[in-house]
Amino acid sequence: MILRVEGVSVKLGSAEILKNVTFHAEKGELITILGPNGSGKTTLLRTIFGILKPLKGVVYLERDSLGYLPQETADTNLKVIEIVLLGRTRDFGAIKIPKKQDYEIAIKALKEVGVEHLANRIFSELSGGEKQKVLIARLLAQQPEILLLDEPTAHLDISAQIEIMSLLKELAKNKVVIVAMHDINLALSFANKVMMMNGGEIRYAGKPSEVVSEESIREVFGIEVIVKKHGKIYVIPKTKVAQNRKWVHVICGGGSGRALIEMLGERGYRVSAGVVNVLDSDWEAIQEINGIAIEEAPFSEIGEESFRRNLEAIANANAVVLANLAIGKGNFKNLICALKSAEMGKLIVVNSTPFADRNFCGEEAERIYREILKKAIVVENEEGALDAIQKLLHR
Amino acid sequence: MKFAVLLALNFVAVIVSLTVGSAGYGVESLIAVLAGKASEVEKLVILDYRLPRLLVAMLVGASLAVSGTALQAIFRNPLAEPYILGVASGASLGAIVAVIFGLGILSRFVIAFFTSIAVIQLVLIIGSSKRFRDQSYAILLTGIAIASFLSGFNSLLIYLHSQSLHQVMFWLMGSFSNPIWEEIYFVIPIFVLCTSFLLLTSWNLNALLLGDEHARAVGLNVDRYRTQLIIASSLLTSSAVAMSGVIGFVGIIVPHTIRILLGEEHSRLLPATILFSTSFMPLVDVFARLWSGEIPIGAVTAMLGGPFFIYLLWRRL
Repeated sequence: MILRVEGVSVKLGSAEILKNVTFHAEKGELITILGPNGSGKTTLLRTIFGILKPLKGVVYLERDSLGYLPQETADTNLKVIEIVLLGRTRDFGAIKIPKKQDYEIAIKALKEVGVEHLANRIFSELSGGEKQKVLIARLLAQQPEILLLDEPTAHLDISAQIEIMSLLKELAKNKVVIVAMHDINLALSFANKVMMMNGGEIRYAGKPSEVVSEESIREVFGIEVIVKKHGKIYVIPKTKVAQNRKWVHVICGGGSGRALIEMLGERGYRVSAGVVNVLDSDWEAIQEINGIAIEEAPFSEIGEESFRRNLEAIANANAVVLANLAIGKGNFKNLICALKSAEMGKLIVVNSTPFADRNFCGEEAERIYREILKKAIVVENEEGALDAIQKLLHR
Repeated sequence: MKFAVLLALNFVAVIVSLTVGSAGYGVESLIAVLAGKASEVEKLVILDYRLPRLLVAMLVGASLAVSGTALQAIFRNPLAEPYILGVASGASLGAIVAVIFGLGILSRFVIAFFTSIAVIQLVLIIGSSKRFRDQSYAILLTGIAIASFLSGFNSLLIYLHSQSLHQVMFWLMGSFSNPIWEEIYFVIPIFVLCTSFLLLTSWNLNALLLGDEHARAVGLNVDRYRTQLIIASSLLTSSAVAMSGVIGFVGIIVPHTIRILLGEEHSRLLPATILFSTSFMPLVDVFARLWSGEIPIGAVTAMLGGPFFIYLLWRRL
């Protein structure tokens, strides 16, 4: 065990910034500390590094071999190599002048982060991502076994964020890398351990898949998210806090409901869709937002069972939307479902293109559709549908 | 190579300073003095007048330039400088009070040191207030505000108390015209102590440039070092002011000229800055005394410094 933090509490003034923090780190770990502003991430890193002294508790180090990259943005006209050499400061003798071996270590550090070609450039003229790499090289020039980084990806564009995180992942192979960050998804896709902090305490710690849930994110960040597992785990924020989630059912198929399903999901509605064929793009959309699919086997006609379940969902939903879908023999029963919903007074029809153009079921379907239009709220597009849903639900 | 050029420039400055003046007595007189064959008058002009004046100019120039370099690192602002930040005005407040009470160089220096350090602290406290929107310029502008207040106050003091207004005003505007050996002996140890400290720790100045937290991360005790720097630059500024009044902009012109040539790295920048200032300041002095009646050196540096300041703003250094 290379680092062990035990029962550490830190006070700044009268405020307790860290409360009884305990964790440990092994070689090969990339640990991300997640938490909102003021949760104590920076204080924890500064305490491990030794800038702050704990009031209680101990930080055990196997060897005093720490490197710390603060969040503070740096800008100076020093050359890149001079910045990296600053990492050698602690190893200088009485007269602080870099020696030949310090230059060698600095160049090696620049190579490790892949920017040795920048060695003689002026730091302030570099891009944000390059600057951060140079600062990481400065960190490496200290030859630490434990790297502490505070928000190293803040203010960087997305490609630079990924580059920096990949670099840290690579470095973590034979070191311990502890990174405080805001971006949950970036953290989750690179970390092998996550610590979630709030109010100076570690609330959750463990592998991303064990720790991250809608509940834990709500508790730590106070936001509503949807947690997805697609090989890797990631979270999607809900724009609206769904206290008493309203249920919207979408009758769709062939991609006609996709946009609406995504919009409803983003707004925090509980969404169901049916009847849709498995692997249809509407079916995929409902999977992505963790909704309920009333499904039928791929390329099959709607069976009695799925028809019945669809009606059940419609009965329970607060609002139903009939998407601008094409009607054929296979999904004729969806039209019946729409008629039932219209009779319940909760149907909204998205009618963007003339029904005649998407009707492959003849006169009978045409007649039912006219019947539906009479009893439903008719809108032209998805935005209209969202407005209509809101009006319908607040009636 | 660049250091050799600077040394050569110093040699030129020494020769010119010792051989140019309204009284005549040029190179032949200097050679005569060096050969020990000089007349009494030649010895008087060159050894008792021009030599101490040269030394004062060198000491003052180097003190102000080194102090400027240190302040630029402390405040992480290329436009920081003893005159602009009000440190020099703070020192001259102390020095004027001492002059009014008829005190000598020692008291003048001690009082000037304390008033200058008080002004730095005041600038730091007001300028780093979170209320100011643009943090990087808040300190500088606070310094400018305090400097103008103090220079007004200083003028008032002189007006109210001075019997020989012209003389004190002349001193206040900066002048090497009355060099005193005792003052030189007094200032040399302070200068040597402070500049040696800064030269030995010049690498740390690089760390400060990155920001306090980065400096801590590379193992620097930032708070202690900053205090040491403030003391050293106040000592240097107040000894310069106590000797020759307020000479503005030297702390900007000299270090930035060297930055353009050598870059930002302080273990090269600082010694080169010293070498340049010890030639720059005497040469400016020679220029000032070429005019009939002699113009105050502070006026010359201010006229050079103003445009230089705008140039730095323009380059966004």
